[in-house]
Amino acid sequence: MKHLLSRLTLAVAFALVLPLCTPDLKVGPTHGGPRYVGPTFRSGVYAQATAAASRSRAHVVALASDRTEGRLTGSNGERVAADYLIAQLKRIGARPLPGRNDYRLPFEFTSGARDGGSSIQYDSVVPPSKPGEPMRGVSGGTIGGGGTEVRALSFSDDGKATGPVVFAGYGIVVPESQGFAYDSYATLDVKDKIVIALRYFPEDAEPKTKGILSRYSDLRFKAMAARQHGAKAIVFVTGPSSPNAGELVPMTFDTAIAGSGIVAASISGRIADQIFATMGDREKTVAAAQKALDDANPHVTGFAIPNLTVSVLTSVVREKKTGSNIAAYLPATTPPGTLAKPWIALGAHYDHLGHGESGSSLADKSDAGRIHFGADDNASGSAAVLVAGEALSKLPRKRNVLLEFWSGEELGLIGSAAYISAPPVPIDQLAAYLNFDMVGRMQNNKLTVQATGSSDAWGRLIEQANIAAGFDLALQSDPYQPTDVSSFNQAGVPSLNFFTGTHLDYHKPSDTADKIDYEDLDRVADFAATIARRVGDADQPPAFVKVQQQMEGGGGRAGVRVFTGTVPDYSTEVKGLLLSGVIEGGPAAAAGLQKGDVIVEIAGQTIANIYDYTYALDVLKIGEPTKLVYMRNGQRRETTLTPAARK
Amino acid sequence: MRFWRFPAIAAALAASGFLASAAAFQTTPQPSHEQDFLSRIRRLTVEGRRAGEGYWSPDGKRLVFQSEREPGNPFYQIYAMDLTSGDVKRISNGVGKTTCAFFRPNSDEIEFASTHHDPKSKQYQEEELAFRASGKERRYSWDYDPEMDIYSYSEKTGAMKRLTTARGYDAEGSYSPDGQWIVFSSMRDAYNRTLSAAEQKQLETDPSYFAEIYIMRADGSGQKRLTSVPGYDGGPFFNHDGTRIIWRRFDESGLIANVFTMKLDGTDVKQLTDFGSMSWAPYEHPSGAYIIFSTNKLGFENFELFMVDSAGTKEPVRVTYSDGFDGLPVPSPDGRQLAWTSTRGGGSNGQLYLAQWNHEKALEAIKNAPPRKRT
Repeated sequence: MKHLLSRLTLAVAFALVLPLCTPDLKVGPTHGGPRYVGPTFRSGVYAQATAAASRSRAHVVALASDRTEGRLTGSNGERVAADYLIAQLKRIGARPLPGRNDYRLPFEFTSGARDGGSSIQYDSVVPPSKPGEPMRGVSGGTIGGGGTEVRALSFSDDGKATGPVVFAGYGIVVPESQGFAYDSYATLDVKDKIVIALRYFPEDAEPKTKGILSRYSDLRFKAMAARQHGAKAIVFVTGPSSPNAGELVPMTFDTAIAGSGIVAASISGRIADQIFATMGDREKTVAAAQKALDDANPHVTGFAIPNLTVSVLTSVVREKKTGSNIAAYLPATTPPGTLAKPWIALGAHYDHLGHGESGSSLADKSDAGRIHFGADDNASGSAAVLVAGEALSKLPRKRNVLLEFWSGEELGLIGSAAYISAPPVPIDQLAAYLNFDMVGRMQNNKLTVQATGSSDAWGRLIEQANIAAGFDLALQSDPYQPTDVSSFNQAGVPSLNFFTGTHLDYHKPSDTADKIDYEDLDRVADFAATIARRVGDADQPPAFVKVQQQMEGGGGRAGVRVFTGTVPDYSTEVKGLLLSGVIEGGPAAAAGLQKGDVIVEIAGQTIANIYDYTYALDVLKIGEPTKLVYMRNGQRRETTLTPAARK
Repeated sequence: MRFWRFPAIAAALAASGFLASAAAFQTTPQPSHEQDFLSRIRRLTVEGRRAGEGYWSPDGKRLVFQSEREPGNPFYQIYAMDLTSGDVKRISNGVGKTTCAFFRPNSDEIEFASTHHDPKSKQYQEEELAFRASGKERRYSWDYDPEMDIYSYSEKTGAMKRLTTARGYDAEGSYSPDGQWIVFSSMRDAYNRTLSAAEQKQLETDPSYFAEIYIMRADGSGQKRLTSVPGYDGGPFFNHDGTRIIWRRFDESGLIANVFTMKLDGTDVKQLTDFGSMSWAPYEHPSGAYIIFSTNKLGFENFELFMVDSAGTKEPVRVTYSDGFDGLPVPSPDGRQLAWTSTRGGGSNGQLYLAQWNHEKALEAIKNAPPRKRT
């Protein structure tokens, strides 16, 4: 399962300025009260009958082995895992999709970024203080070229910016709506200039003040603020009293990469000191400037660095890789004929976190860099698809059964989103989609079924299937889950997701195959196969119900109170915010926005990417009509959006 | 019998200020012993807003229950669930309100109470649907519709036979083990005599005050009143061998309820519980050794299952340890399973649950329980 943060990204990324080191494990249901601790269902008679031969164990053990190296999307481990899945699909008689002879459905994605040779150059020319004296000058030459002194930020535009220089303190702008006055640009003119700003936030501020400022100290937010004040470029330095003093900002692994509309780089403390030294004033050092700012006194301002011209050249090489979804189908045993929607799909993501390269690893320091086996997340779900598929392969089928394995889920549902955008089988031919994500750690016989609101037909189907299966079911109607079921719900397919709850090994190397509850994993697969069979054999496919997206507070930022009803597409790189949908009945829908529109401006703020949009939400007022500019089919259009209150 | 009037009472209590003192009954969380008695807990009903009151067929293969799942009807209808196939079929005719179904032993009949003969039934359905569509939500309450009468339905012929006709709520019926008798609750007393002004006011605010226990033959003949104490007498069942009736009696205020038993002629009344809280929905285990019931002694909105020996000599033993509602317990005919209604799946609306029942552990716990404290 994808980290909860991604859910928030999907639902408008409002948590991104929070520190990411405090994962909210409340991914699962929190129904009911304290659960009893005691013998689980496994100790029952049923388990004794089935423990002898688990059908899912071999699949999980193979997929979560050393050989698959954590199944990072685009890695060799992913390919090894895919080979296993394909061999198993062949074994149970599943075929490549119609018109194809390969089980792999490759998709390209941005896997990371590296510096392509960024550099900085500074020239100081001090005019003579008295007539007749010579000009004094300092030239730093060209520094950089991918070295240790300068590095582009991963979200920087490629380009070269040249201009006079302004030091803008910490470069923080707290939106007026927060009722807390702090604006690093209040007294500065940075139009067409190069801004130098400190990384992080005032180090000695009161905790409460720090709390507010830290929310607006994300480098993307600072870059946006500089851009909105007309700066040509922003250059960050990590101040001497901050953590990582003097160091460059690392290139982050960030799949939501999108240009920020400004040249942005970090420079070493050494270069910053040289630049400050051009002022020829022993009192005006980086250290002194930071010290003056560190108690967060809003009246301490930045200043222009006179007589200086800086050129910043940035080059970011965004690395593209190819991941593969795996898809096959079991043909109907009787021709579907005129049966409505003659396909049904079962799916699970098979990718995981590799060695924890991405930000969503929760490995302890002692475990960092080890293989993240992802036995529960989501070798278990992949095994469930194989087990259910094998059961269905032996039964008569009125509909074709798709068996699908997604990659790129942990990076942001990239694989399933790519599939939906170019589906090999038309999405409107799909009667239903059943997803499995983390189904190997059942406790106390509890199974969570999510997305039940996506069709009114689910209640009866689940009830009937559970009378034989006998789970202590918890149902969640919300289909906007942090897993691939979300992609199918967005596409209008009645969907379900099966989930046995989160645990302390979530996203850690310790999520291993020996901890999986195989007997109950088999039961989950059987339960889903029963539902799939009933849907597959029904004359009428389930009718889709569009569920209104609920904004849950959990893990979110308390300050975000507005609801716009947009569903951003964060897997496609465009300038602006591409919408993968709008929430029915929400403000965006009322404003006439639709899937495929690209928001480029809201409330007078230009939007280059999802982050800008997230920050812009802070200035919107509930119930107050706001001008919104968007692109549709290449044409610039305007509308008025009235934000609603977040529930 | 057995239905679900607690939220209505909760509202009344909150208004009367009783809630604050009731909260004082709450105890610190205790380690759960639920697994001593219940295992393999599973949720049986999913469809519809709420479901409850599941009663076993004599062969233990089916449950008859009430559920709000009929398209176009927001009220309970009666359904039978086949525990082998998972098939569910509607028993009542889909119109009006229904409640409290029961399989008739040695027969193809099922009794339940219904208002479908009321010409206003469909109008009420539409009004309630419109109310819900408006987005408003009211607390669950039971309105003791005076049109409610008891019917028997033949599964073979599909014929429905009306067994009671009296003005006033007739419901909460259940058959004797031989299938020859029905014991039920009726509010007819409020309609078949002239009420004083105070009584008239009582009828308007809480008609359940007038409910008394009645008995009749399975064909509806020989209707006879068994109780005549002010306050709601309801939820009656026969005990395992059909020699006694087990029911719950509310006090005049409608706040306190206790479990009682009596002979079929209304004599030899014995009180089995004395918690000073709402103890109700009693049902005897087929062994005849103990009665399982529901009480809110641990917190006003936290109903838990308890059990007490059938003579009421011991202090009741707690069975469930789950927040919210656990009530309406019904052991299977073989005594090895328990069906009950619970909100443990989340939300405020109950659904039917089923678990394996450890009868030996239950006997042992009752044996070890201290003698009942008497007030």
